[in-house]
Amino acid sequence: MEILKCDGVKKVYGCGDNQVTALDKIDLSVEKGEFVAIVGASGSGKSTLLHILGSVDKPTEGKVIVGGVDISLMNATQAAIFRRRNVGLVYQFYNLIPTLTIQKNILMPLLLDKKKVNQEYFEQVVNSLGISDKLNFLPNQLSGGQQQRAAIARALIYRPALLLADEPTGNLDQKNSKEIIDMLKLSNRNLNQTILMITHDEKIALEADRIVTIEDGRIISDQKRR
Amino acid sequence: MWKDYSAGFIKKNKSSSISIMAAAFISALFLSLVCSLFYNFWIYEIERITTEEGSWQGRIEGITESGISTIENFANVEKVEINGSLSEGENIVADVWFQDMRTIYSDMPLITEKLGLDSTAASYHELLLSRYMVHDPQDKTPPLLMTFFIALLIVVSVSLILIIHNSFAVSMDARIHQFGIFSSIGATPGQIFTCVMQEAAALCILPVLAGSFIGIAGSAGTIKATNFFAEGIAGRHEAVFQYQPLVFAVTILASLLTVFISACLPAKKLSRLTPLQAIRDAGELSLKKKKRSRVLSMLFGVEGELAGNALKAQKKALRTSNLSLTLSFLGFTVMLCFFTLTGISTNHTYFERYQDAWDVMVTLKNTEISDFQQGEEIRNLQDVRSSVVYQKATAVCLLPESNMSDELSNLGGLMAVSGNSIMTSDGCYSVKAPIVIMDDEGFEDYCEQLGIVPGTDGSIVLNRIWDSINSNFRYKEYIPFVKEEQSTITLQNAAQPGNVTEIPVLAYTQEPVTLREEYDNYAFVQFVPLSLWEQISGIIGNTEADTYIRILGKDGVTLSELEGMQSEISQVIQQTGSVEIENRIQEKISDNAMQKGVMMIFGAFCALLAMIGIANVFSNTLGFLRQRKREFARYASVGMTPEGMRKMFAIEAFVIAGRPLMITLPLTAIVVAFMIAASYLDPMEFLAEAPLIPILIFLSAIFGFVGFAYYIGGKRMLKCDLTDALRSDNMM
Repeated sequence: MEILKCDGVKKVYGCGDNQVTALDKIDLSVEKGEFVAIVGASGSGKSTLLHILGSVDKPTEGKVIVGGVDISLMNATQAAIFRRRNVGLVYQFYNLIPTLTIQKNILMPLLLDKKKVNQEYFEQVVNSLGISDKLNFLPNQLSGGQQQRAAIARALIYRPALLLADEPTGNLDQKNSKEIIDMLKLSNRNLNQTILMITHDEKIALEADRIVTIEDGRIISDQKRR
Repeated sequence: MWKDYSAGFIKKNKSSSISIMAAAFISALFLSLVCSLFYNFWIYEIERITTEEGSWQGRIEGITESGISTIENFANVEKVEINGSLSEGENIVADVWFQDMRTIYSDMPLITEKLGLDSTAASYHELLLSRYMVHDPQDKTPPLLMTFFIALLIVVSVSLILIIHNSFAVSMDARIHQFGIFSSIGATPGQIFTCVMQEAAALCILPVLAGSFIGIAGSAGTIKATNFFAEGIAGRHEAVFQYQPLVFAVTILASLLTVFISACLPAKKLSRLTPLQAIRDAGELSLKKKKRSRVLSMLFGVEGELAGNALKAQKKALRTSNLSLTLSFLGFTVMLCFFTLTGISTNHTYFERYQDAWDVMVTLKNTEISDFQQGEEIRNLQDVRSSVVYQKATAVCLLPESNMSDELSNLGGLMAVSGNSIMTSDGCYSVKAPIVIMDDEGFEDYCEQLGIVPGTDGSIVLNRIWDSINSNFRYKEYIPFVKEEQSTITLQNAAQPGNVTEIPVLAYTQEPVTLREEYDNYAFVQFVPLSLWEQISGIIGNTEADTYIRILGKDGVTLSELEGMQSEISQVIQQTGSVEIENRIQEKISDNAMQKGVMMIFGAFCALLAMIGIANVFSNTLGFLRQRKREFARYASVGMTPEGMRKMFAIEAFVIAGRPLMITLPLTAIVVAFMIAASYLDPMEFLAEAPLIPILIFLSAIFGFVGFAYYIGGKRMLKCDLTDALRSDNMM
């Protein structure tokens, strides 16, 4: 079942002589439950693609269809609601809200939607990520690895159609990096979670089912490993 | 670094630079204005006191000629002068000035001891001394007006200094990241410190100087405005603007020192951080401890909680606005309530009470009633309905305890009502007996008014005393003072108890003659005709220096008619020495103008204070893009809608503007309740005249401006592309 489809996605920044094409006619299709790694050099356009897939940015041209809905046509409010319900975003620098506790941070997408918390699922997520004893801390009171686990928990709490991770291990040591990747794999297998992960680390990319390589805003290779 | 970096930074970051310059300018302006006004107020008070009461510091009674040189030889004495008007024959009264007046209360007893006099021979100019903060150590309730004003000056000055500090420190804190980059590429702490100081000088020296000069000009303008509004007040000592270079030096020094300290702080903070830590410091809002915004969370949901936490994280940056907005609104509200209550009280105690008591009042300075001969001429002027010439004197009356009225005895006697009357040894009370000496014609009119046979050979006794047990001073009820049995009254010289005289009583009354006079609550007032006074003045003496003429015009007299009457009276009495003429309607107009003037000055002060707060809110919201972009990018990344973000901004604006209201309302209610209780006014009377509309306008202006500041900041935030902030490592 196709969960994501990019059709001729183009993203251009600036105008006139300063125009930069970050993405150039990207076509991509992802099936439900796939774990895809997107690799590429710095400035190749991989983060831009992830932001467009996560609806925090809009393509200049083309369609982005997530779960049958064209998110490129959405206005800011529709995109925000779509994002909180269907997309989980994990960043290199965690992007937790520094003024809220870890628990509130994790529950944020539900709170914004005024949805009741499924306590069982919440406990399952925080226990599996090993942060159940850190729920009352503020983000700056935790280590980088713990903050990233909290960010993953937040991304998973709404059971999103897509989990998008932008260099999730880029700011972590080797041990923590391995643990984070293991957790992503676990959620991919156990929850059948679709994951798109951006990385420039080939070793980490090898953990994914499929590796898409981007160069100068174009997909130059798309390899299925399993 | 200045040429390559700082100058460019100032030019490129106009909003941040302007906010620092504005804060420095406004704070220096206020500091200078407040200090200059305080200095002028102090000088004015001293001038007024010395003009009205003389510049003497200590006074010694009952000395001889030789005693003068003894006083002069006392080490701390600067000069001694014989007081001609108070000295009588051998009994010399000397006014003394000291080199160091702070030791006056210990020096004067030593001087009287040297002179062989009792310590009661020494008196002190307490009012003047209190203006120099010299108080009698034995006095448990010294006059603290000056202390109060100095405390107020210190509080206001510290608040203004904090405003400069906050504005500068907040902006400099946000620069830690950039200075971290400098440090990482090899800039020494000395170079960074120099850079910070250069920026501080470039941004603050001119605004501080300009603000200080404009503050001085504002102070001169305020004094001019005060003189203008108080022009109609008879006998007022006019204020003249004065300035002391030391005040200027203190103002400038305080402002520049604050800027210097505020600029040093980020340099000090930087010295404690590694370059990497400094680079990662983006001045982002964060909390050190877990906080909960229960009320906002309950009222507005998750946006309320986020807004509450953001406000807590911005606590330092918003300190200035919180302080200034709260102080301005509190000051404005309390001031309006105070003036409303004063207005009600003045109407009750003065304008309503004396509505029909006078139309024109003439004060003949330093004139004995017996020397004034034009009474008849004034009485015969065309528009004059009634006229009384009178002078006041003080005496003491001995009243036997058995002579107290039954009503007074039923209340527990004189001591129970007044608490302070003196019982002499032979069963008599020694009671103050103010004497109102009236011209014979005026006295005879009074007799007719009371329905007694007009005569000039006795006194009319105001036989009433305030029932302080069953009524308050606002709504006084009176009872008879004495049984109306005695046909004579014994009066005693107030200064020389041996001089006693007995005068006939023509009548006892509870209706005083209509004069613009208020009598002591527990005094036994005597109205005597001039003819009788001429017979007893040698014994009783103690007349006040001035004589008064109370004139009533026709019913419903207008201002122009009163002014016409005033000029006619002026012509009649032009040969008499120093004269002051007032008319009732003009006095009411002048009083209103004066009150409006004071309210305008205070109101402008509060408005300017509010402007500082609002300027701080603007400087904060204009810095949103730099400070809060990443915060809002995070909200966006987890699915907060633009409406949710707008709601957050609205909640923050609501809290910032609403906080002064929440703090002010209960405080004002307490202060007003206290003032109403202290003045015994009817709360309903205040509520009917409560200044709700100006308070609402002021509050709406605060809400409007804070809302506008957030609208601009929020709009800029929502317009910008937030995605960069999510991946930029230097925004960590």
